This record gives sequence, structure tokens and C-alpha cells, in this order.
Amino acid sequence: MQAQDKLAFLLALVPYLMDRDRVSVTEAARHFGVEKSQLRDAVRLIAVSGIPGETNAYQPGDLFDIAWDDFEENDQIVLTHQVAIDDSPRFSAREAAALIAGLQYLSALPENADRDVIGSLMAKLARGSSGAPSEVAVARSETDETLATIRDAVAAGTQVEFDYRNSRGERERRRVDPLRIESIDQDWYLRGWDHLRTALRTFRLDRIDGLIATDQPITYRPGDLKLPETLFEGTPDDLLVTIEVSSSALPLIDDYIPDGSPREEHDGIVRTQLRVAHFHGLKRLVAGLSGVLTVLEPPEARRVVAEWAAAGADRYR
Amino acid sequence: MSPSASSPSRVPVEERLFSLVLALLATETGLTKNEILSTVQGYRQRYVAHGDNSSLERQFERDKDDIRELGVPLETVESPGDAGNNQLLRYRIPKGAYDLPADVSFSPEEITLLGLAATVWREGSLSAESRRALMKLRSLGVEADEPIVGYAPRLRVRESAFEPLSQALERHAIVRFPYLKPGESASRARTVAPLALVQHQGRWHLHGTDQDAHGPRTFLLSRIVGPVTVTGSSFRPEGSDFAAKALADLEHIWDSNVAVIEVAAGTDASTRLGKRHGDTVLPGAEGDAVRLSVHYSDSNILADQLAGFGPEVVVLSPESLRNAVRDRLLATARAHGYRADEESVAGSADGAGHDG
Repeated sequence: MQAQDKLAFLLALVPYLMDRDRVSVTEAARHFGVEKSQLRDAVRLIAVSGIPGETNAYQPGDLFDIAWDDFEENDQIVLTHQVAIDDSPRFSAREAAALIAGLQYLSALPENADRDVIGSLMAKLARGSSGAPSEVAVARSETDETLATIRDAVAAGTQVEFDYRNSRGERERRRVDPLRIESIDQDWYLRGWDHLRTALRTFRLDRIDGLIATDQPITYRPGDLKLPETLFEGTPDDLLVTIEVSSSALPLIDDYIPDGSPREEHDGIVRTQLRVAHFHGLKRLVAGLSGVLTVLEPPEARRVVAEWAAAGADRYR
Repeated sequence: MSPSASSPSRVPVEERLFSLVLALLATETGLTKNEILSTVQGYRQRYVAHGDNSSLERQFERDKDDIRELGVPLETVESPGDAGNNQLLRYRIPKGAYDLPADVSFSPEEITLLGLAATVWREGSLSAESRRALMKLRSLGVEADEPIVGYAPRLRVRESAFEPLSQALERHAIVRFPYLKPGESASRARTVAPLALVQHQGRWHLHGTDQDAHGPRTFLLSRIVGPVTVTGSSFRPEGSDFAAKALADLEHIWDSNVAVIEVAAGTDASTRLGKRHGDTVLPGAEGDAVRLSVHYSDSNILADQLAGFGPEVVVLSPESLRNAVRDRLLATARAHGYRADEESVAGSADGAGHDG
């Protein structure tokens, strides 16, 4: 934690301890989601802190105090004297804005569709903020029944079945243990155990058609399988292509650049590498970044892209 | 274990900051800078009576900023008889403005939802703010309901302009940045009074007052092609609810812009297009094609998206979008070595192509 975060933690911890006559280090650390050692350090610091007082000498009555024996011997926290602080602090304008924008984004979730809890929460956050929350807002992202159906299946622990068209254009009926719904901005994904591929897979919700919920229980529990942190994992079969891209567009493709790839930049153009499963995904990506990204190697990748774009242009004859 | 026992260098930063907050909360009338530096834990160890304390004073200035950034209302009070005299300025934190109002409380269900809202900013901008907001919520001691499992929603800010713009937004500071309009070959410096940052259709926009055009403008963050300069000049925003209004404006533009496209059945395009809001299937396509009306707020963004679908999509109208998609596809084909003598596309030699 940075010093500023540590200060925020101290200011949050004091009112929590005041509200409790006695709480174990274990319980408090769990509640705040910190290591027990961090919590003990914070309690020790609070216990010797205070105000200069009338004598400007930080006399004992001007300091917080705890029941030291309980703390050192039983790992229990009992605040026996308090100074200056009575309540939880307000949110900063940016903190309130971060939560408000997060709530706006979550209003797309099916279980929040008809609830006014989000509106009332946003009002409370605004009132609990020390300055007017920053003007940051997120438009409700559009979701449909697909999300609601999958959501119910995740909650019920049942399998789903759907048609899925991959970026090669191939369509297959898939049966999946739905484990988690993820999103990045307006794109929604299902992560689950794919019975056809017998592997963990990520599916874009907008590529799913003909979804049905089954009453078949899932074969894996969410805890059984470790979902990788990143949505898209590289595989040893991935192909590497060399590209040139405008440096301003680099963030758009960052997910596809393997770690440690060389990035040579001159005149605002970066030469680097992309990792792709096959050239059919690549051709779509490149055609959507016309004038910004060019594939240099291998020739096969250039040919696939050129033919795709030429076939598209051909439709305007 | 008295604090005075610790040697000057051993007072950790957080102890100094915490002591400063406590001291300023405890005072009704405020403390002068000199009183703070000479008495508060973490400063007093380094204070030189009747000597030069300029580095300590600079430390105090930085600490004030750090504390204010946490939402702590650290106030400056001028001496009634001697306004303008910096040595007599007094500092304090009024308890009423510091404490979370008593009527702001949260149910376990609300705490659960706020917990999920905070995880939306998992990386980059506003993730630190989310974490700190969660910490403050936890200080209320309310245990969350059953956690909401099965969801991992995320907002991502890819544009490096977001962070300086969001700082400027809060400080009401004028910003300057190079902005590249589509179709123009070079960027142009824009000077803007920022009013709101909004995400619409997955893209971040800055809404503000263009200082040269003297009018409201909305900028796509992805088209800010260089560093954002936060200038020293500030402005007073006139009005309120800027973010909500900016979103409503973008939504209005989205609703009023309609393109008609034809999509080949049984393709990635036919699966994915038409699922965005407002999009509808139209009658009248022939054979294996589907005709769709699709909405958009920015024709260049839609043209990029549709070009990605290659031959799976044809734009029927408007004409400008038709041309934009065709030009993009031609440029891509040429940039990847599609030779002109093989080119079966007629009447499109408009020089938009790039040589590989």
C-alpha cells in the first residue's frame, strides 16, 4: 500500500473499531480484505497516535489506546481510548464518481433492470461525498435475454446449449457448463467448460444464437476449475505475424501483442508482432483498422487479408 | 512507547499524515503552519526553531494535497484582522464536513452491489479510488450479503488521455491536446474547458467547451493523439448534470443516424449485427441476405466496424458510408499487396490506398 492508501485505511479502521467492543485481528482483517500483519501494523500505529494536546507533548490522554495485553496475547483488538475521530470519512469526489459510474454500468445486469436501488444508491453516494461527484458517466450497456438466460443458468448450476459461430465462420452446436459472465465495456462474454472441446472456452455473447437452458447439472463447479485471469489465453499453436501500426492505435491491439515482443517506433509507426489463432480472426481485425495497421509478414497472412478486403470491396462494383 | 522516542527519520509517512489529520480535526479555530510544523508528530522532529524550515514547509504543502485527494475537507481560514497574511493562515478540518452524514447508511444488499460496482474499475484509472471507496464503506462495519458470484464486469480505459482529463475535470482546469479529426491529415491543438467524461457504446468521450470555437464540443478520447496538457488556468462551469446531458446528446445522435446494410446469411456479420440497440431487420432483401437498419453516432467508427466484416456486409445507404467502407477495404487490399492489374474493382482509383 502507498502511504496515502495506508492513511485511508487508518481513517477507515478507527470508526470500525469504535463500533466494536472487541474484535479479533482475524475477523477485522477478513472484513477489510487485508493481511493480518497489515492490520496489526495499523492497530499498533493507531494505538500510539493522537493529538499534540494542550501541552503539545502528546500526553497519554491525547492518544488512542488499546488493551495491549489482549492485543499482544490474544490477537484481540479493544479500543480503550479515542481522540478526534467519531465517524467514517466522506467519499472524495472521484471515489463517489468511480462507484456511481460502476453502478451505472451494472444497471445493464438483468437482476438490476427493474430496481430503483441503483438510483437511490447513487443519490446516497452523492450526499456522502465531500465534493460534488466528478462528471463521469457510463451509458447503460445493451444486454438481451441471452445474458439473463445464462445468468440464471450460472446461478442454478445447469448446462446451456447454443449455436456458436467462430471467427472462421464455422457454426457448431455447443453444450457448456456456464461458470462466469465477464464483460469489457460493451462486450459480454461467457466463460465455461465446453463439452465439445473438453476445455475451458470463452464465448462472445453476440455470437451466440439459439440458446436454450437445460436442466442438466453442470459437471464442474466454478471452484473446481481455475479460470485464467485473462479472457484470451495464448496457445502453443498460435501464429505470429509482424505488423506496422500507428502508435496511437497501439492500445487497441495490446491484448494480442505477446509479452516481450520487440516494439520499434519511428515517425509514429510501431513495428511489432501479434499473436493470432488463425488468419481468419486477423483479417477481420486488420480490415477494421484500415490505414492504421498493416501486416508485413508472413506472406500467407498478407494474402488472406488482401483477399478478404478485396472481396469486400468487390461487392461495391 | 511514546512517539517522541522515535528518531526523526523513523516517523513513517502514514503516521505523519494520520497525525496531521487528527490534529486538524481536533482544532476548532485552526492551527497556523508554524504551530503544525513545530508540534505535530512527524514534522516536529524535523522542525528547527528560529531556523530555515522551507523543505518542511514544502513537505506540508504536498501532504495537504495528499490528504485532500482522499476527500478530507482540509480548510484554510484567513485571520480576520489580517487577511492575506500567509503566516497567519489557519488550517483545520471541520468535523461536520469530514464525517459521513448520519443519514447515509447502507444495507447489506447495497454493500454487496457497491462491492461489485467497485470491481468494475479493476485496472488503471479510478481503480485506486474504487479501492479506497470500498475501504470507507467497510469502515461502516456492514457485512455484505451473499456475494454476487458468476459476474466479472469490467470497464476499461485504454486511452492515456483519461487520467489527466479526469484530474482536470475535478479541478476545473482548461486542457489542451492534439486532436485528429477523421479525414484530416494532421492533428490540430484544441483548448477545452472539460465538463464531463462519458462512455457511450463502449467509447470514452470528453464533453466540454471549445475555447477557440466558443461552443460545446464532444471529443472521442481515441482521437486525442498526443499528451494532454492541463493548463494553469481554471474556469467556472455554468450549469449542472453535464455527464447526463452529454450522454443524452450522444443517444440522440445515435437514434437519428441510420444506415441500411445488407448482411449475408449464415455469417459472423449476420450473427452479430442487428443485436445492438435500435437495430432492426428490414424486409426486402433478396436470396440469402438480410437487410438491417443500424444506428450509429460516428460514421467513421461504423465504417471501421463494417469494413472488418469484409464481403459479409454491403452498405446500401447513406452514400457517404458506402464510400467510406469501400475506400477502407480498397486501402486494406492494396496495403497488403493486392495488385492493381488483378484488381477487379472498377472506378475506385481515388488514391486512398496505401502501398505496402
